[in-house]
Amino acid sequence: MNLERMPNEEKLGLCRKYYLGGFAFLPFLWLVNVVWFFREAFVKPTYTEQLQIKTYVKRSALGLLLWVAVLTTWITIFQHFRAEWGEVGDKLSFTIPLGIP
Amino acid sequence: MSTPTVVCVLLLSKTRKMDPLSNKWIVNLLLCWFFIGVSCNSVEKKIYVHLNYTVPCVRLLNATHQIGCQSSLSGNVGVLHVLESEENLDWVLKTGRNPPYLVILESPLFTRSIMMKLKNGSGRVAGVAVVAPNSNPLEGFSPHTTCPNENTGVYSENYDPTMAHCNVTKWNPLGNGLAYEEFDFPIFSLKDDNETQIIRQCYLDHNRPVNGSTPQYPLCAMQLYSHMSAVTDTATCMRRNDINFSISPEMVCDPLGDYNVWASTRPINNTEKGHKMWQSVVIAAARLDSRSFFFDIAPGAESGASGFVTLLAAAHALRNATQQAQPNRTILYTFFQGETFDYIGSSRMVYDMQNSQFAVDLDNVHSVLEIGQVGLRADSKLWVHSDPVSRRNSSVDEEVAKLIANLKSAANKSNVSVNEPSFSQPLPPSSFQRFLRARPIPGVVLEDHQSAFTNRFYESMYDNAEYLNMSYPPNMTPEEQLEYVTETAKALTEVATTVARALYMQAGGGEPQLSSINADPNIVTRLLYGFLVRSNNSWFQQLLPSDLMSQLANRPTNLYVGVSQQFSEPTLLVQHLLANLTGTTVNATQDDCKNQREDENDKENKHIYYYMWVQGAAPPNSTQREGFCIRSTVRLSKALSPAFDLREYTSKDYSTWTESRWKSIKGRIFLVASHDLEMLTLGVGIAVLLTSFVLTYVISSKADMLFSSGREPTTATY
Repeated sequence: MNLERMPNEEKLGLCRKYYLGGFAFLPFLWLVNVVWFFREAFVKPTYTEQLQIKTYVKRSALGLLLWVAVLTTWITIFQHFRAEWGEVGDKLSFTIPLGIP
Repeated sequence: MSTPTVVCVLLLSKTRKMDPLSNKWIVNLLLCWFFIGVSCNSVEKKIYVHLNYTVPCVRLLNATHQIGCQSSLSGNVGVLHVLESEENLDWVLKTGRNPPYLVILESPLFTRSIMMKLKNGSGRVAGVAVVAPNSNPLEGFSPHTTCPNENTGVYSENYDPTMAHCNVTKWNPLGNGLAYEEFDFPIFSLKDDNETQIIRQCYLDHNRPVNGSTPQYPLCAMQLYSHMSAVTDTATCMRRNDINFSISPEMVCDPLGDYNVWASTRPINNTEKGHKMWQSVVIAAARLDSRSFFFDIAPGAESGASGFVTLLAAAHALRNATQQAQPNRTILYTFFQGETFDYIGSSRMVYDMQNSQFAVDLDNVHSVLEIGQVGLRADSKLWVHSDPVSRRNSSVDEEVAKLIANLKSAANKSNVSVNEPSFSQPLPPSSFQRFLRARPIPGVVLEDHQSAFTNRFYESMYDNAEYLNMSYPPNMTPEEQLEYVTETAKALTEVATTVARALYMQAGGGEPQLSSINADPNIVTRLLYGFLVRSNNSWFQQLLPSDLMSQLANRPTNLYVGVSQQFSEPTLLVQHLLANLTGTTVNATQDDCKNQREDENDKENKHIYYYMWVQGAAPPNSTQREGFCIRSTVRLSKALSPAFDLREYTSKDYSTWTESRWKSIKGRIFLVASHDLEMLTLGVGIAVLLTSFVLTYVISSKADMLFSSGREPTTATY
């Protein structure tokens, strides 16, 4: 899909869909939204729907950052303490490395 | 491999552009495959020398620890260093300029002090290869602990605090505990032969520092692979075995264990478990297994074979006497597996007896006579060890005294002198301790030592035929050696006769028969030859079923118990030898025999007897062997620690030993270039890549200018 050839209302609808979709624990939708609509929101000359798109992109970015922060923290904690946690650590793991604790 | 591949790519791309003829293209393609196929092999062969004979040290785990060795997943690489003396360690641990080092040790340097320094070598040690000598060292060496099976015998704090933890006697004073250490680098054993010579030569040519100067690259290096899957302890690895949530569930460890072998002088119905009325059994026990620091060398001549060979010979000596004049009590010959690893076999049999899972139970057990290490008797003395704690009970003491009296009168008129240790000393490490843990059963353990072991090589790779003084006159063929009666065999025959007569009396047999009970030195010498020199001999071949021929080998039997999924070598051999030595030949067809019956209507005998079709010998003028059917009371019973059935992986009462799994164990040597040269090569490669990118970009952007031949515009293609 080429954003350039799309009418502004449809752009807004699409951006909104991605923004709302992100709430279903899909931070990657927010990432796509931010990357995809960044030009539309902040670079293009102003048009009516741009303000709304801007809000969605900003909120998507915020949500994305939150996810990144949460995931990074969790992954760090998990990788660091997995061996110490023993059985719990193994149950939380999908693949267990061979030969190291 | 890279050069031919590049040539191929060039060839292919050239053909495509220049010539549309497909025939030529295919020819070129085939040519290329040929090139790649050939070059792969030859280049690898030019770079690496693979080691053919590699015996690793592997990782074992128990309730609390991991022991053994481990390499990284892609193998540990280190520059070879042949250690000349302990002082020479400085080069490896401090001054050498090219760490990590892979240390080649001559066996006299394979000591605790050197190994522990290497272990704490802070990443400067990539691995160790120990050159096994062709003859035994003069001084003692035992990688086992000083107090074998310290925590799973009967002498705990509750039983008698003064005797716990070998307080009275350190049984294995030479034990250095190396086999119970954990090393985070691989340790391999190499045989002293041509291969080791190549390694030494490679070291001398490239790595040897001359006058303290740093040797120049390229240096000779070795890579050892022994990556172990399991880690931490048994509880962890058993838990990870059970996880089948991941995409590729993978087993990481297996419990150690195998089968105990047992037989009785009176047939016992094996399908009816639990207590047998009117049955009183005398257990004659020996252990089947041993170990060493390395995975598949466990000759265990003195620590294992001397005992079980004696018991096999005694069982054979008792065959006729027990059939003609059956004594009141039944003699139960038991051969326990996995005793090295916290009494796996005996603890399991006692557990089964307590839970009515065995053919008899503990109430049926009258007494126990165990044969320990009896191969190295000084002055023909045999020492009878008993448990001072249970003998405080007068009725037990009385029975033990009777048993000792029987042994003494059995030894009467023979060269064996039976003695009791002079002070009240606890039992040496023995299977009988597991029976005492359950209840105070009268019993004794026969050994060749009064206090500490006579065995200077307990559970080591030097505990072999040479150590038992099994020497053969030179220039003998294997067949002649098999029949040659060595002094060791004569000595063990005397012990076996004593044991057999004592057992007969202990079972209630009369004195008149005693003189007819004699162990056969020819049998003993063949047994020793078969277990300690080569199991692939004509006698073993005759006594085994044809499908077990693959188990026979031209080397000493490996007595390591191994994992429970597969039979270990001594179990199968002892099972079939015992059947032949105690059983009788019956007239049954091969089919009936293999279906555990004497004729087609026979449905009962399979519960009582075990039938076995052995391949027999070939008559003089024929190559076709004449097989026959042997009926015996020999049975196998599981020797898997109860901890694994109870799923108590942190058990303090039962063995929890497991062996890690691994994917590949191999080693190879090659020459390495200096780190700088490697980096330079990589740098040049990256530079060439980047240049080609830039060049391509420039050419493509200036394509109009460069290729303006008036053909169609190039932009349309892209």
